[in-house]
Amino acid sequence: MAIASNQSAIAPLRRSWGRGLIIAGTLLFILTALAQALNAAGILKLGLTNWRPTLFAFLVFAVAIGAGQVLMRGQAGWRALFILPAGLFTVAMAIFPTLFGLSIAFTDWNLASLTGQKFNGLDNLFQLLRDPFYWNAMVNMVIYVLFVLVEYAIAFALALLLNAEIRARKFWRVVFLIPLMLSPVAVSWMVGKSMLEYRFGPVARFARWIGFQNPSFFTDPWVARIWIEIMDAWVSIPFVMILLLAGLQALPKEITEAAKVDGASPWQRFWQITFPLMLPVSLTAIVLRIIFKLKLADIIITVTSGGPGGATDSVSSFIYREYRDRSNVGYGTMLAMFYLVVIVIFITVLLNVLSKRMRRMT
Amino acid sequence: MRVDLYNHVMAVQASRRNFMKGAAALAAGTALSSSFMGRAVAQDNLRAQILQIPGVGKGSPTDADWQKVGELCLGATKANVAQGEFAGVELTFMGLNNQNLHNFLFRGFLKPWEAYTGAKINWIDLAQADYNARLQQSIATGTVDFDITEMGAPFEGDTAGKGLLDEMPDWVAEQIDSKDLVGYLQPPVGTWNGKTYRINIDGDTHTFAYRKDYFGDGSISGQPVPTHWEEIAKLPAALAGKSDPLTGAPAYGFLDPLKYQWGGFGFYFLGDRAAAYAKHPDDPAWLFDPDTMKPRVNNPGWVQAIQDVMDLVKANAYPPDQLNADPNTTAFSQFLGGTGAALCWWGDVGSNARTSDTSVVGDVVGFSINPGANKVYNSKTAAWEEKENFAPNLAYLGWGIYVTSRVSGDEKKRKAAWSAAAHLGGKDIALWTAAYPSGFQPYRNSQFNYDEWVAAGYDRAFVEDYLGSNLDSYNHPNGAIEPRIPGIFQYYSIAEDELVKGINGQYASAQETADAIAAAWEKITDQIGRDNQIKLYKASLGM
Repeated sequence: MAIASNQSAIAPLRRSWGRGLIIAGTLLFILTALAQALNAAGILKLGLTNWRPTLFAFLVFAVAIGAGQVLMRGQAGWRALFILPAGLFTVAMAIFPTLFGLSIAFTDWNLASLTGQKFNGLDNLFQLLRDPFYWNAMVNMVIYVLFVLVEYAIAFALALLLNAEIRARKFWRVVFLIPLMLSPVAVSWMVGKSMLEYRFGPVARFARWIGFQNPSFFTDPWVARIWIEIMDAWVSIPFVMILLLAGLQALPKEITEAAKVDGASPWQRFWQITFPLMLPVSLTAIVLRIIFKLKLADIIITVTSGGPGGATDSVSSFIYREYRDRSNVGYGTMLAMFYLVVIVIFITVLLNVLSKRMRRMT
Repeated sequence: MRVDLYNHVMAVQASRRNFMKGAAALAAGTALSSSFMGRAVAQDNLRAQILQIPGVGKGSPTDADWQKVGELCLGATKANVAQGEFAGVELTFMGLNNQNLHNFLFRGFLKPWEAYTGAKINWIDLAQADYNARLQQSIATGTVDFDITEMGAPFEGDTAGKGLLDEMPDWVAEQIDSKDLVGYLQPPVGTWNGKTYRINIDGDTHTFAYRKDYFGDGSISGQPVPTHWEEIAKLPAALAGKSDPLTGAPAYGFLDPLKYQWGGFGFYFLGDRAAAYAKHPDDPAWLFDPDTMKPRVNNPGWVQAIQDVMDLVKANAYPPDQLNADPNTTAFSQFLGGTGAALCWWGDVGSNARTSDTSVVGDVVGFSINPGANKVYNSKTAAWEEKENFAPNLAYLGWGIYVTSRVSGDEKKRKAAWSAAAHLGGKDIALWTAAYPSGFQPYRNSQFNYDEWVAAGYDRAFVEDYLGSNLDSYNHPNGAIEPRIPGIFQYYSIAEDELVKGINGQYASAQETADAIAAAWEKITDQIGRDNQIKLYKASLGM
């Protein structure tokens, strides 16, 4: 009611000014962008060497739309100003680059090519569908994602341990968090390239000491995959653990105490009470961890470069090679866009399935 | 000179007696020179004088030393440029900041030049890892924002081929005495369509580094130093069951970096083997057919090289972790750490052998040009020829200084840019950069005058062995030269991926592996533009 009365109190002239400002800002932005596009295509000769005029026009448009809102809608317009900058920022920094990236994904653009960017329709997509390197990396990603369940189990065990009344609990909590604070690249060098080094690495020496003749960690495909996973898990388990620990601390103690009084064994208390109550937190932790896992690249690039023979390649590490080493911008972008779509679909389906299951359980 | 080489020299620096010998030689040289007049003698004095800045074994040079050297080497500039001639000119220089060398040295060298000419230089410093991407993006997006750049010759295709470079004026060629360049850096390298664009400041080649305790009478293999790949293939049998004399660990033969994937640079190591089989002396091309750009990487010569590696993998001839050993690991962890009898690598292995804390092979390392083969494939006749063939792999062509076409329209600025570049590429300054830490290897014949090195305090035996292998490679009549075509590292990078698949058994044979590389190369050629690649490939080979 207050908003309605406030709006009706705004003079029609002021509203017209507001509307005019928005239209003018919008037109300025559209026309500038259009002129620049025609200039870039060589149809108009404006002598513009960069896209700054369009950027400035966008900033003017942003100011105009904000001022226009205030003029047209009064207090409601002022309130809109709280959200408008964030909205425009998202458009400029997330939505536009995504759309721009999408436009690149349908081009043949190798930085070394004299002819530059060329639209090539769905060619990149078809190439992707036939690319054994890409699908090999996709299969690896499925394996890496499945390992999240193992990470979750370990993280849960650690969280239970750190939630128990153990000596120096705070100290252990900090200690267990340290891997999370380390850069994965540093871990790759410290563990992958040094500790696991065949000749002088302490792990290799220890393995030899206990009887392994050739303790080589990155030459057999499965062994290499597992060691990559171990390093990634070592860095990431603390993240899952801390989420689960927070969940455990928020659980009402009365229920487990009542179960204890009723004679429930520790296993029954965990399996029948703690675990079900922790499901919402667990699912959040697992989904977040899967999202992080899908971006796995740094450790692989540093330690194995995807080898041996692509056995440890992730989609991101493959895209990195395609984009950085081969300057294949069009195809590299298509790989990334396709992967984005796969991730969005996968996470959406996963969340739907999990929420339905959760509803059934609760 | 690379830092490690300099460190080595300091480490093996002689005893006081040797030092005195060097000093005495220098003093004698100086005294002798004072009795002669003339430019040549003055030039010799200058060379001896700059080699004493700061003096071999007297710590790493500082900015003050670089400026002193720059000041002393200004003579050639003064002959072509009047004092204050470039007042008001501002130039932008893009280069590297590796190991606090490269641009750091250039700044010092050019400070006296700036003071004399009145020009001002703005600097863009880049890490090696960022350099290629920055250069490629600048080229692709038309945002070349530098007037002078330090650049590797393989990128000449991307720059000169696209008209982004300014042609070197004749007076510059004279000032830098370009005839002094070693054989393989002579044109066509540095030229496009007959025009010269490059001022060399560095040289690069792979050489063969081997363990003396593995070869010769009384060595563990009992065989002479291998000079052909066929002999290297027999090494595992000769070393079976033997232990390394230094480490006591199992002895292994030649080290191939079986991980290969190294941003394109790993492909050079297959090239070391393939050059001997596939680089025919009568044909400058060995990677592509110059008329069609059809890859030669799947011809019998290349396939033989891949097969050799596969055979060794099958015979378990490599250390157990070799499939995850990239070139860096192979050289610096394995070979220098006492694993393996030999490998091919750039100059750093030799110097690190004596100076690196982790090296145990310093006293037993020797050098020669890359091994050859007893047969060579002739692509023109599509047949093997049973004859001995050597083809050193001149992997990467060293750094050069280039002037961009941004200055082409302004004669004063253009002259200033070329003058600055010529100062860095001067003959005398080159001697100093070869003798002290600079990040650069010798690239001129005049840098291989060992007497100058010895007079400055260097160990003759080391210099002759180590630098001699480089000189022999540089001036070899059948050197396998880098094709300076656009996207060359894209070809190498995809080849590494396919090669690794083949070595890990994902292709049925060496031929199938080579065919996969060839197919990937065909795609890249089509994407970049076949006709233009043919034109540029021919131009890069001087055809």
